Amino acid sequence: MGIDVNIRIMGGAGQGVHTAGGLLCRLAVAGGHHFHATQDYMSRIRGGRNSYSVRIREIPVRAGRPQADIVLSLDPGHLPHILSSVSPAGIVVCDLPAGEAGSADSRVIAAPLKEFSASAGSPILANIVGAGIVARALGIPPETVDRVLTLEFKGDFLEKNRVAARLGAEWAQGRVPDSFRLPERAFRARMILAGNEALVLGAIAGGCKFAVGYPMTPGSGILLGLSADGPPLGLVFEQAEDEIAALNMAIGASYAGARAMVATSGGGFALMVEALSLAGMLEAPVVVALGMRPGPATGMPTRTGQEELAFVLSAGHGEFPRLVLSPGSVEEAYALAHHAMEMSEAYQVPCILLTDQYLADTVVDADPGDFPALPVNRRIVHGNDVPRDAKGRYLRHAFAGDGVSPMAVPGEPGITVVVDSDEHTEDGHLTEDHAVRIAMVEKRIRKGEALEMETLPPLLSGPPDGEVLLIGFGSTKGVIAEAREILSAGGVSAAAVHLRQVAPFPARAVSEILDRYRTAFTVENNRTGQLARLIRAETGREVSGTISRFDGLPFTPEELARGVKERR
Amino acid sequence: MSGIFDTDVENAWCPGCGNVPILNAVKKALERTGKPKHEIVLVSGIGQAAKLPHHVDVNVFNGLHGRALPAALAIRMANPSLTVVVTSGDGDIYGEGGNHFVHNIRRNPDIAVFVHDNQVYGLTKGQPSPTSDPGWTGSLQRSGVISGPFPPLAVAIALGCGFVARGIAADIEFTADLMVQAIAHKGFALVDILQPCVTFNKKNTYQWYGKMAYKLPADHDAADRVRAFELSLEWEERIPIGVLYRREDRPCFEELHPGVGDPPLHARETPPDAVRDLLRKRLFTLP
Ligand SMILES: Cc1ncc(C[n+]2csc(CCOP(=O)(O)OP(=O)(O)O)c2C)c(N)n1
Ligand code: SF4
Repeated sequence: MGIDVNIRIMGGAGQGVHTAGGLLCRLAVAGGHHFHATQDYMSRIRGGRNSYSVRIREIPVRAGRPQADIVLSLDPGHLPHILSSVSPAGIVVCDLPAGEAGSADSRVIAAPLKEFSASAGSPILANIVGAGIVARALGIPPETVDRVLTLEFKGDFLEKNRVAARLGAEWAQGRVPDSFRLPERAFRARMILAGNEALVLGAIAGGCKFAVGYPMTPGSGILLGLSADGPPLGLVFEQAEDEIAALNMAIGASYAGARAMVATSGGGFALMVEALSLAGMLEAPVVVALGMRPGPATGMPTRTGQEELAFVLSAGHGEFPRLVLSPGSVEEAYALAHHAMEMSEAYQVPCILLTDQYLADTVVDADPGDFPALPVNRRIVHGNDVPRDAKGRYLRHAFAGDGVSPMAVPGEPGITVVVDSDEHTEDGHLTEDHAVRIAMVEKRIRKGEALEMETLPPLLSGPPDGEVLLIGFGSTKGVIAEAREILSAGGVSAAAVHLRQVAPFPARAVSEILDRYRTAFTVENNRTGQLARLIRAETGREVSGTISRFDGLPFTPEELARGVKERR
Repeated sequence: MSGIFDTDVENAWCPGCGNVPILNAVKKALERTGKPKHEIVLVSGIGQAAKLPHHVDVNVFNGLHGRALPAALAIRMANPSLTVVVTSGDGDIYGEGGNHFVHNIRRNPDIAVFVHDNQVYGLTKGQPSPTSDPGWTGSLQRSGVISGPFPPLAVAIALGCGFVARGIAADIEFTADLMVQAIAHKGFALVDILQPCVTFNKKNTYQWYGKMAYKLPADHDAADRVRAFELSLEWEERIPIGVLYRREDRPCFEELHPGVGDPPLHARETPPDAVRDLLRKRLFTLP
């Protein structure tokens, strides 16, 4: 199986946990390895207990592990909480005054992090000293550490960082075991990015030109990315006064011809629901990125959950088609964000990108080939291609065959674009005519049927039939894949299905797959088995059960494999 | 009256409704701006007033109750060559959409906002609105309105709105003139229009407004913010109409926002090379 080292940096907010973790990720890639990094942080700005876990392997990694092999603890006070999650042969590097609790544990290595930080010329480099020690334990040459630091820091501060890392590495010589040394491998250039960043890049690559939102974790990360990376490609960003304004603004921009999106979390999405229905009525293309976190209400702001599946499928009063995509990896976050932009415009429907805190904050190295600059196909019509009535007026909602009426935008001579949230005639003016009402409802529903023809099929891995099938949507993809491998290695033949699209639901494909396995479990970060219910509603088939986790943390592969064995 | 902006959409207002003269004033004002139809967007929320755009042959965005301003702002951001005018009710703009009213005055986008202030929710049949006079009994507040009235002009002046005016439905010429000025003003321009609702508001009638309203004198100094604020609070004895406050020195949101401008967003390209450059920033290569 090769190497599999799990490193965890722990400390309070403001102690440089993130910086040290990010550095280790880059060091892993610099050494030709692959990593998967997750963060667990509390909803506060200073103090608390935060961690950044970096799991390094020789193959691409798509899930974390609860047990750490190497822990760098930047706050000695955390030690009592840490030891239970360190593997038996693991080590804990910690700046420990002699005689402190935990020091009796043979895994604890007391290191002079603060002292070396001061020697390096700054009181805030204990994290880098520690990273130097960990790099030494991994057998990463000091020159590599130097080179990677050059990418992160500049000038005088770079020099201090180099000294800090070197002091740590030299001290570690002979003091840390050799058991975690990574084999030498050739370096290959890789993308390094988090789920939220990939989603942002996909949206921008998909031609998004207007983004707006009101901060709410984990949607804020998407807003941050859009406001930073969007403007060079002509994207206009604005912070709204509330989420209601945000989605109404995005729809206004969409009316004016911009590809537009918002990002939020469950609570903010709740405020957007009326506007989602407006998008349905106006047939306005718009994309909503929803990063899920545990609810109800404010819930656990910085933790993960998958509790909004049922909500997004039915959100918005009235009946209108929608596209709901559920990326399961950074690669899918990129591809599906682009897809959302394209499909939303092609069918003039709102599209929801359903992610969660876990995927949002998960950082991995990825193949640059999975991040192509895909084409942007704008579908705005002009002049003679615009459907008109006998008087020459533009019919925004012309009864087209598949229900998708050619979309023109305001500003073109000879065209006025009329839209109304009331039921309307083809020209967009309000009506209470029941026959027109029926025709308009049918037109909107027809768009949904056309959209359904382009449903992304579920991704099946493992044996085409057999004992156990695991079904998930969204961020559980990587964990389920690894759990499946563990099960197969343990003699349990298991397959996995990942749903990257949940609306329109790929009902036929899922039914056919379900029929081929003796037992099937949905895997969900919620308590009530929302995906299991959806499958029942869409296919009429009952799964054997749901493996759920709803404590605010992501699944891990061993735990999931254990759960399957117990339930099988 | 017939003109270039007429549509054949059937009028759904009560006979004698104050919305009719307001519609005529809007058409007159738009004609006077000389702008072509395709460059004008009328934006409204929901209510009797909010139906006005359907009677004007221009681009129309008739959105949700209370949400005209966010849509209008975004249309301006997406394409600043469009002339964006919001025309909606007092319940819509000051009640359901109050938060957007406050924050868009702060933003100061180049939008003219006409509020048909009939001091009542007309479409939902006679409930008090944020501007209803205390003590007035509408449906739902049967023992009379207890809350103090929302003073739109005072709020706008307090927030630094650069054009604050009050019109009166009954005087089409006068109100149309205010509208023309509001459209010409660069920034958020508010025209609150005293509008009789003949069906549900038997207090604030044509006669009542006619008796209460007085035109600001020619020597009124609209640059005097303190005086304007004082005037904006006049209501019990008499009601000033005209331009209470105006300042032209404040840059509008579109000028200050670095991304807004030419070309409009619908015409902006997404060159694959630029996407590749962006992606390359996440590519980890060793120095
Ligand atoms: C979210 C929402 N809440 C309530 C309504 C019902 N509603 C429609 S118009 C209106 C009030 C309209 O009052 P105003 O804006 O003053 O316009 P008027 O009808 O008096 O011209 C209300 C409450 C709605 N359409 N949407
Ligand atoms: S209810 Fe009032 S505001 Fe509505 S149309 Fe009738 S008179 Fe006009």
